[in-house]
Amino acid sequence: MTIRNLIPLVFAAALLAQTPSYKDLKYPPLPQVKIPDVATSTLPNGIKLYLLENHELPLVGGFALVRTGNLFDPVEKVGLAGITGAVLRTGGTKAKTGDQIDEQLENIAASVESSIGETSGRVGFSCLRENTDQVLAVFKEILTAPEFRQEKIDLIKGQMKGGIARRNDDASGIAQREISDIVYGRDNPYGWSQEYEHLDRIQREDVLNFYKRYYFPSNIIIAIQGDFSAPEMKAKVEKIFADWAVKQPPVPAFPPVKAKAAPGVYLATKSDVTQTFFHMGHLAGMLNDKNYPALEVMSDILGGSFSSRLFREVRTRLGLAYSIHSNWGATFDHPGIFQISGSTKSASTVDAIQAARAELDKIRTVEVTDQEVDSAKQTVLNSFVFNFDSPGKTLSRIVTYEYYGYPRDFIFQYQKAVEAVTKADILRVAKQYLKPEDLTIVAVGKAAEFGKALSTLGPVKTIDLTIPEPKKTVAAKTDSNSLTLGKQLLQRAQQAVGGAARLAAVKDLTQSIDMQLAAGPKAKQLIQWIAPGTFRSTQELPFGKIIAFYDGNGTGWLVTPQGSAPMPGPVVKQVQDQLFRNMLTLLLSDRDPNRSVSATDAGAVDISDKEGHSLRMEFDKATGLPAKLSYESPGAQGAPVHVEENYAEWKESGGLKYASKVVVQQGGQKSADASVIEYKANSGLTAELLGKKP
Amino acid sequence: MLRTIAFGLLATLLPAQNLKEFEKKVTEFTLSNGLHFIVLERHEAPVVSFDAFVNVGAVDDPAGQSSMAHMFEHMIGKGIPSLGSKNWPEEQKLLAEVEKVYDRAEEERRKGPRADPAKLKQLEAELKEAIEKANADVDPNAYVRVINENGGAGFNAGTAQDYTTYFYGLPSNRIELWFLLQSEWFRRPVFREFYKERDIVREERRMRVESSVQGKLQELLLATAFMAHPYRNLIGWASEIERLRAKQAEEFFRTYYVPGNVTISLVGDVNPAQIKRLAEKYYGSIPAGPLPPPVSITEPEQEGPKRAALESDSQPLVMIAYKRPSQTHADDPVFDVIAGILSSGRTGLLYKDLVRDQKIALGTFAGASFPSGKYPHLFVLFSVPSPGHTVEENEKSIYAILDGLRKNKVDAATLERVKTKIRAGLLRQLDSNSGLASQLAFYQVEYGNWRTMFTGLEDINKVTADDVQRVARKYFNEAGKTVAFTTKPETEAAAAKADAK
Repeated sequence: MTIRNLIPLVFAAALLAQTPSYKDLKYPPLPQVKIPDVATSTLPNGIKLYLLENHELPLVGGFALVRTGNLFDPVEKVGLAGITGAVLRTGGTKAKTGDQIDEQLENIAASVESSIGETSGRVGFSCLRENTDQVLAVFKEILTAPEFRQEKIDLIKGQMKGGIARRNDDASGIAQREISDIVYGRDNPYGWSQEYEHLDRIQREDVLNFYKRYYFPSNIIIAIQGDFSAPEMKAKVEKIFADWAVKQPPVPAFPPVKAKAAPGVYLATKSDVTQTFFHMGHLAGMLNDKNYPALEVMSDILGGSFSSRLFREVRTRLGLAYSIHSNWGATFDHPGIFQISGSTKSASTVDAIQAARAELDKIRTVEVTDQEVDSAKQTVLNSFVFNFDSPGKTLSRIVTYEYYGYPRDFIFQYQKAVEAVTKADILRVAKQYLKPEDLTIVAVGKAAEFGKALSTLGPVKTIDLTIPEPKKTVAAKTDSNSLTLGKQLLQRAQQAVGGAARLAAVKDLTQSIDMQLAAGPKAKQLIQWIAPGTFRSTQELPFGKIIAFYDGNGTGWLVTPQGSAPMPGPVVKQVQDQLFRNMLTLLLSDRDPNRSVSATDAGAVDISDKEGHSLRMEFDKATGLPAKLSYESPGAQGAPVHVEENYAEWKESGGLKYASKVVVQQGGQKSADASVIEYKANSGLTAELLGKKP
Repeated sequence: MLRTIAFGLLATLLPAQNLKEFEKKVTEFTLSNGLHFIVLERHEAPVVSFDAFVNVGAVDDPAGQSSMAHMFEHMIGKGIPSLGSKNWPEEQKLLAEVEKVYDRAEEERRKGPRADPAKLKQLEAELKEAIEKANADVDPNAYVRVINENGGAGFNAGTAQDYTTYFYGLPSNRIELWFLLQSEWFRRPVFREFYKERDIVREERRMRVESSVQGKLQELLLATAFMAHPYRNLIGWASEIERLRAKQAEEFFRTYYVPGNVTISLVGDVNPAQIKRLAEKYYGSIPAGPLPPPVSITEPEQEGPKRAALESDSQPLVMIAYKRPSQTHADDPVFDVIAGILSSGRTGLLYKDLVRDQKIALGTFAGASFPSGKYPHLFVLFSVPSPGHTVEENEKSIYAILDGLRKNKVDAATLERVKTKIRAGLLRQLDSNSGLASQLAFYQVEYGNWRTMFTGLEDINKVTADDVQRVARKYFNEAGKTVAFTTKPETEAAAAKADAK
């Protein structure tokens, strides 16, 4: 150390002696908190109205709280509430499209937004004072006369599908989702997973019905705060909502949580991370539990802040995690989840989880110190004033209590109860409510690099993150008009290719095809087919020959340059998909009791079967011949890929027409050109012949 | 703009008027050591928020010490001589001992291939022991605990490329606690548990960058776009973080944490006269020091487009960046307006085209300043392709939109809407103590005057359709472009192509 550096140090030491300790500081009493008056009333149609004047800035904002939630999603249509909440706003009103409303509001820097969460729906608005009337009018129209335009339903469905495709991209998100689904159970609304097939099933009519069931005056609370006079605002709201008199039976209670403990260690593998994200937890309680205040103090000591035990031990002392927390997790109306969560480098996964578990055990067995309980209580009580530092907080709190049926002074009851919490209370509630034997432990990370095996913690169950492919069985229209029209369109196509009788008479088919792949190589393919589903394909590729045989009953084989093998499951599925798209049987779908055919608005037909296959066939308007098939095909990874097959250059063979040119597009880009060189029906193929290995 | 005012639309948003109202509630003063205070009275509730803004950030990390500025964000919780130790005089000696042992270990390591492995092992064991000994005297997290016990709200700190900020709130009767604790830390922070916190920063890098596709992509974008300027480094390199030293931190502190490099804002139920008294009492005796030098590296001019691919099994992402001048350049407000035209609400051009109409993206974003604004930096565009749609498709559509800005003048309605939204955006930030504290200090440090928060709106108002076109033509060009995108690992992509047959 140089002399130059010594001087400030000595100087600092001298100052230190003079500086009072924080312990010597004396504080004046805190000025009285002003708790704003909230004007409460019920309008003649049953809307409950909460108004709070706040003149600090020339702004007005508010929200409608609607008793609904995604817990009311039908089991086969998970996502219906979410779609309804979003399209309520984006789908526009009778008078204006959503896009027009976007322009109108953004021109004046205002917003109206809508959503439906787990246990409530919300339509909020915000604007400058001078635009209040205009924006209130939009808010009212959105709430009472939404149009749910189809294009916006399609848009949000596409976005939600994108969300599904991306749901395994973020390790921390996986961990949060899985702990919740496992603890609540995957067989009930609290733990359902939203899949492609759910979204495919949801139609505009479902959305309209969901809206009608829950959006009615006596099911709604409206709260508004800002730069206005409360009596004037009340008159205004009453007037604009006066013509809204829809009635519905009262909304039932949310389904109860029936979860049983699901203790165990669960692993989801993600290979492109250097950290493990872990959550451990079990079912917790509700906010109105009389022990809730003691539990909050307990959880705060355990892992609630930068000075908690978990933070001190796992982060500060052991240096194992950047992030480590615990949360008692009580909610208003159903048991929440108690959780400890954190992230640590792959190698210390087990160490970090064990260190956190040790803290959990400790707080259940030994009383916390006086200092800890005092500190935790002081923390709650001294920061209490921050619950009142803006009028908006008071308004939201009162409305939330009203919505969930809590007393208006709940927060003061809580404050009082915290004051009374003792060390003994904390040990008692920790023993009674924390259940290490029930812990569900979820770790998401690169298992190959965990220092100690996760099984050190107990038998490990693997979480399958595979995203189920969509099944489109119910997507098509089912009204009688669409069904009749669908049949007609298909029968016209049957006529166009040579007649239904000729189609039905085809017992086998041989096609030889030249294929030019967009990726570069050329290929030759020989396809042999025997009705209804025996199939052999011989492909000659630059690197060799691939022969595939399928017996029509779920099994087959593959012969490649590498050798011979039974046909793997995914390939079986590919072949079955391809068989479904066989043009000969497709055109006769109206005769197949396992298939349904219905027309779309644009004059195409949707064809689907009971195994979950589906596609859309479009026709040449002039000739009635099939022009295009479109369908979703399992992508190499993640989301399905949209495929289109375009048919052209029709030729004839034995009285049947076939397209000799097929252009295939995948995900909007051309992937292959196929030319049919030979097309021959009823040449006497036999299953024995096809099933013979080379 | 005058026309707008005459129409009475947004009369309440006139910058000048707001500023006049606002100034009445602001008290400003500078202590003789150079430390600047901004005090804003808001008596709505008996609480107060503080923000201590230091004009030092990741760009100032010394060579080989990336994440050093960031370490300070972590050291604030470690406390001061009088709080955080069970026995300060003893701890002080032990901390000095740690550095001595560390020096000896370093010296041996620097011999490279000539280093004696046995000696090195011995020294490393000694170092570990010395660290553990010093840590034994620590009263863990005491500094934060005392703040929490006194009702502290939102205690935290943050490190940006250009600045470091330390903030929280207290009930207004306990304001003196903040003066004591914060001033003591600025006088003499203690680098206790430095080497543990270094591990935590390393973990933070794992979490934010190494385990996040978006984090990796941002890091790649910056490292590709900037050849020399420290903006090229997002959060610090792992190998450098693992070698940071407490004695280097002391040096860094002496250089950058001088009172003249600090601005403090206090917002809430405060009495300015009392604040002045307390400021003198607690901060007045901190010795002044010379202002630190700015970053000496000027990024060489980019002379061609750059592309960087990140192999990832995740769904695709793409970031496009264009070089732009610093936030004090006259074109700065034009970039804000362009960002608004491209991505603001549901009327932004990117949303309307890529998300709503073409449905080739799930989400899009345009940001006027990345990663920070003090030095020439980047205008960025970000897109999240929809399933079945590619990075290339998204890029193509984005370039078409940018081309549109170059070729055609933006219409008056769009321009006006964007300006209105920017003005209203400011108004909506004026209702929270913590938000205001942060804004006031930010503008004071970054622009030299907190009033820029309001007067900047006048510059926004002056932006014309010609400006938008001129700036789009000047900066959105190939020479200054960098694209970072994800792509499936090569083998997988090949397999996917084979599957397509």
